[in-house]
Amino acid sequence: MALPNQQTVEYPSFKLVIVGDGGTGKTTFVKRHLTGEFEKKYEPTIGVEVHPLDFFTNCGKIRFYCWDTAGQEKFGGLRDDTSNIHGQCAIIMFDVTARLTYKNVPTWHRDLCRVCENIPIVLCGNKVDVKNRQVKAKQVTFHRKKNLQYYEISAKSNYNFEKPFLYLARKLAGDPNLHFVESPALAPPEVQIDLAAQQQHEAELAAAASQPLPDDDDEAFD
Amino acid sequence: MDDLEKAILISFDESGAVSSVLKEQAVAFIQQIKETPSICSICVEKLCFSELVQVHFWCLQCLHGGLRIKYSSMTPEEKTFIRKSVFSLACCEPVHASNSNSVRILEGPAFIKNKLAQVVVTLIYFEYPLIWPSVFVDFLTNLSKGAVVIDMFCRVLNVLDDELISLDYPRSGDDVTLSGRIKDAMRGQCVPQIVGAWYDIVSMYRNSNPELCSTVLDSMRRYISWIDIGLIANDAFTMLLFELMLVDGLLDQLRAAAAGVVLAVVSKRMDYKSKLALLQSLQIRRVFRLVAGDSNSELVSSVASLLTGYATELLECSKRLNSEAGKGVSLELLNEVLPSVFYVMQNCEVDSALGILQFLSVYVSTMKSLPGLTETQLLHVGQILEVIRAQIQFDPMYRSNLDSLDKIGREEEDRMVEFRKDVFVLLCNIGRVAPNLTQIFIRNSLASAVSSSEDRNAEEVEASLSLFYALGESLTDDAVRTGSGLLGELVPMLLSTTFPCHSNRLVALVYLDTITRYVKFVSENTQYIPMALCAFLDERGVHHPNVNVSRRASYLFMRVVKLLKAKLVPYIETILQSLQDTVVQFTKMGSASKELPGTEDGTHVFEAIGLLIGMEDVPPEKQSDYLSALLTPLCQQVEVALLNAKSRNPEETLAQIENIQQMITAINALSKGFSERLATASRPGIGLMFKKTLDILLQVLVMFPKIQPLRCKVTSFIHRMVDTLGNSVFPYLPKALGELLGESEPKELVGFLVLLNQLICKFGTGVGEILEAIYPVIASRAFNILPRSDIQSGPGGCPEEIRELLELQRTFLIFLHVMATHELSSIFLSPRSSGYLDLMMQLLLYACCNHKDITIRKACVQIFIRLIRDWFPDHGKEKVPGFRSFIIEAFAMNCCLYSVLDKSFEFRDANTVVLFGEIVLAQKVMYEKFGNDFLLNFVSKGFPNVHCPQDLAEQYCQKLQGNDLKALKSFYQSLIEKLRPQQNGSLVFR
Repeated sequence: MALPNQQTVEYPSFKLVIVGDGGTGKTTFVKRHLTGEFEKKYEPTIGVEVHPLDFFTNCGKIRFYCWDTAGQEKFGGLRDDTSNIHGQCAIIMFDVTARLTYKNVPTWHRDLCRVCENIPIVLCGNKVDVKNRQVKAKQVTFHRKKNLQYYEISAKSNYNFEKPFLYLARKLAGDPNLHFVESPALAPPEVQIDLAAQQQHEAELAAAASQPLPDDDDEAFD
Repeated sequence: MDDLEKAILISFDESGAVSSVLKEQAVAFIQQIKETPSICSICVEKLCFSELVQVHFWCLQCLHGGLRIKYSSMTPEEKTFIRKSVFSLACCEPVHASNSNSVRILEGPAFIKNKLAQVVVTLIYFEYPLIWPSVFVDFLTNLSKGAVVIDMFCRVLNVLDDELISLDYPRSGDDVTLSGRIKDAMRGQCVPQIVGAWYDIVSMYRNSNPELCSTVLDSMRRYISWIDIGLIANDAFTMLLFELMLVDGLLDQLRAAAAGVVLAVVSKRMDYKSKLALLQSLQIRRVFRLVAGDSNSELVSSVASLLTGYATELLECSKRLNSEAGKGVSLELLNEVLPSVFYVMQNCEVDSALGILQFLSVYVSTMKSLPGLTETQLLHVGQILEVIRAQIQFDPMYRSNLDSLDKIGREEEDRMVEFRKDVFVLLCNIGRVAPNLTQIFIRNSLASAVSSSEDRNAEEVEASLSLFYALGESLTDDAVRTGSGLLGELVPMLLSTTFPCHSNRLVALVYLDTITRYVKFVSENTQYIPMALCAFLDERGVHHPNVNVSRRASYLFMRVVKLLKAKLVPYIETILQSLQDTVVQFTKMGSASKELPGTEDGTHVFEAIGLLIGMEDVPPEKQSDYLSALLTPLCQQVEVALLNAKSRNPEETLAQIENIQQMITAINALSKGFSERLATASRPGIGLMFKKTLDILLQVLVMFPKIQPLRCKVTSFIHRMVDTLGNSVFPYLPKALGELLGESEPKELVGFLVLLNQLICKFGTGVGEILEAIYPVIASRAFNILPRSDIQSGPGGCPEEIRELLELQRTFLIFLHVMATHELSSIFLSPRSSGYLDLMMQLLLYACCNHKDITIRKACVQIFIRLIRDWFPDHGKEKVPGFRSFIIEAFAMNCCLYSVLDKSFEFRDANTVVLFGEIVLAQKVMYEKFGNDFLLNFVSKGFPNVHCPQDLAEQYCQKLQGNDLKALKSFYQSLIEKLRPQQNGSLVFR
């Protein structure tokens, strides 16, 4: 499961494949996990980066070898699914600010299932920190049809980072009550999901005063 | 093992045993082989003779890719060779007379068989029905070979559906046409035979190989939507499918697959009359008993979906059919199935509940148009309410997690909040169609929740209260105020209740939220005011042991006070007494809370008190007593901190800062209740107290310079005092502004400019002198910080520093706009400021043409208009040398002509249209002030640059000289739109 020069570990480890259109944030997502980022190995021959991500559960440590096949979308119509073989669980990623990436989710799912039958899969809608969403939470329905788990995440702000891994860990362990006892070291958030409500509150008054006065715009739309 | 096989094995290695250099070599070698002309026969060869799964996969991948990319350039012989070999593999025939490896392929892992199916389907894509018309028929004759071939056939059908037919994937128009062609050919040629084969296989293998039968049924399900329904919905097939579902002891998976097929039959699109006949003929009641099984089983969830789908179709029939008889039958069947649907919803996992929820929403919404509900409908609605209540209850096993809000508790709460969103929409709809029933239901659930056993009561009470809270969403203000229906009974009952589980965090929170939502009823029925106050002030509210609850309570109490304040005058004394300890607690040194940042920090108690004691109805003496009793300790705290400021170590200083911050926040909140009229005109004594406070707080800036959070707090207080003290804040401004100006980081400067904007908007030219003194300093700071050229935000992200710069630029431009539009433009020309004029003009010119925010561009154009008007009096001499030519040469050309010609100037955007209006107005103003100087330059220099025809230029002159601004605007827009295609990228303006 590990790649050359990568330490194998004593505790349970699973191959996790991450698929989705280019630019949806797959690489950013796995890189949030700092120890994984530190130990990752690049496999140039198949264009895959493998990040070993460790998590601490109440039943002990587990490791996900995350196969981040960056650039696979470049193959156009022909996706190389070699690296998906022996995947034991998967994340399908789309970008809530780009509708097309959600439209392509069924295709990713199909291609994945052909190579790995009956594995637990999480669907992740990334970039929910961005204000200008194009795929609203309500419009995401694919997971219901296919019995997947869905999470909204924001890789940049670490929002819900652990959720997909927790779900997969529970499924793989067959223990719905499994939980993480310790947070992994994550890169500090680059954006805040909700820009300090406190400041906003205090600036309330000020903002009102700072707006330019209303214009005589009654002719604006004729 | 030959070299190719070795290379493939190496390239597939995941064990970590192979070095990456070797792997790279292997991949390069494989790639080289892939390029050889005979690659297809090499692949077939390997498929026949190699034993290695990796090699099989690689060869099939290679064939698949080869066909997809090179099919049109292959020779007919090559194609025939591939077709024959692949088909032999799929049908378990020897490819060469001498080998039997086909069996091995079909007995290999699933991903090999799926890859093989992909290859077959690629051939179908290119060759069916013209070149290879017999593919399906040929397959059918091979099915008798047994399970492996049947399984392979199913895989081919599944991939065919996925790749070419199913509407679940985005497809191009060409592919849709192709899929239509394939479906037509299959319908005409082999669909009945395929269906016959399905029937025979399932009948034959149901006991001996149930897994195979479920595979067959699963792939059959995909085809029902486009084949003749009569082939499936007939006596023989229906009987078989129901038998499979109903026979206990059969494999669960097979029974579930049968239910899936029936669901596909039920959902098939057809006209509603035939649909109803079909639904009726199924006698679905036979399977009702199946949902009573283990709710986690595949069978139960599959039958649950079947019943929900069946009910959804009936509902549709009852809406679409016009005949009374049709409607009647639909509703009769629907009423028959509904109890099972409710049962499922009550007992199944949340996941499948969502589908049912959707159905129930449609069901309830059909009742909206009815004049009244029948008894059966009322019964059903009651059952739905039961289902809802059951579904939204937390599991008691999470009680302590939820109460302490640890990680698990937080997760569980998030999950429930998400789930409840949909459920509560349904609840509100029910509340609209059956208001009385809903309210009775809520009353009864509250009553029974209170008396239920201790191990469940917190969850039941929480759920019942949440229902009541959610119901409020659907009620009109009037209904709440007057207490329509049972509300008049429910609200007082709630106000007077303390639940045994009231110490529970969730119960206490939803309790407070609920009474806040219904507090309008109290405002009309003032006899309940004391009860409502108690609920907020005793241990259910502000005095709740859980700090999350007590802080939320102070926030909600503030909102309630806002609403009721006029009616609360008689209770002020009582309220203040009850809050005494909370206030004292807050003013104690070191009570600043670190663990609960955010908006609910407890200071809302002060805001509530301020609102109460700031009313004019409070007698003057009392008012000043109250205020001083609150202000004095807060100010004292600050003064003590100020005294000790110098003598502390860093750690203590940090604590001091936090403490001061908290005091100022409280003072701010308190002051919100006092109006300018009261503090300056009717009760100047109050104003005096605030002035003293201001004196003290300004000291904070002196003693703790450059402490960002304190600066923010003091600035907020000055904002407040501008509102409360009005003109009498003036004497304080020089000192305040002087201290604040001491800092020049972008963030601080923004805060400072915002304060100035407030002052200018409120006092206009009244602050002229102050501004004259500080404008040069501000301008120098701003132009030092802001880059001369565009602020680059770079791809992908926007780092914090860039964001701060953009924010500063924006605020500075708004500040200039506020100055210009409040008759303060002469300040720009004062001796000490005029040095910055040039930089200011550059910035304005750049921003009015390029700024990303259209409203900012508009503001900049407005500034220019003001400056032109202010600085060129109708009679008299030009105030600013060079300004005239700058306007005519630079502003007119770049902003009024080139920037609007750019395609990014979007006439369909409302803000842009407003900006365009200002730009046209600017031309008018320039013509008024500069006459032909402007016009000649604009038309004779500018227009030729943009290839404007002479006649249009002449028309422009006429319109500009006329009096109709609207006509000018619409003409200029059409002119610009005509000129745009002429530009051909010749404008390198941007």
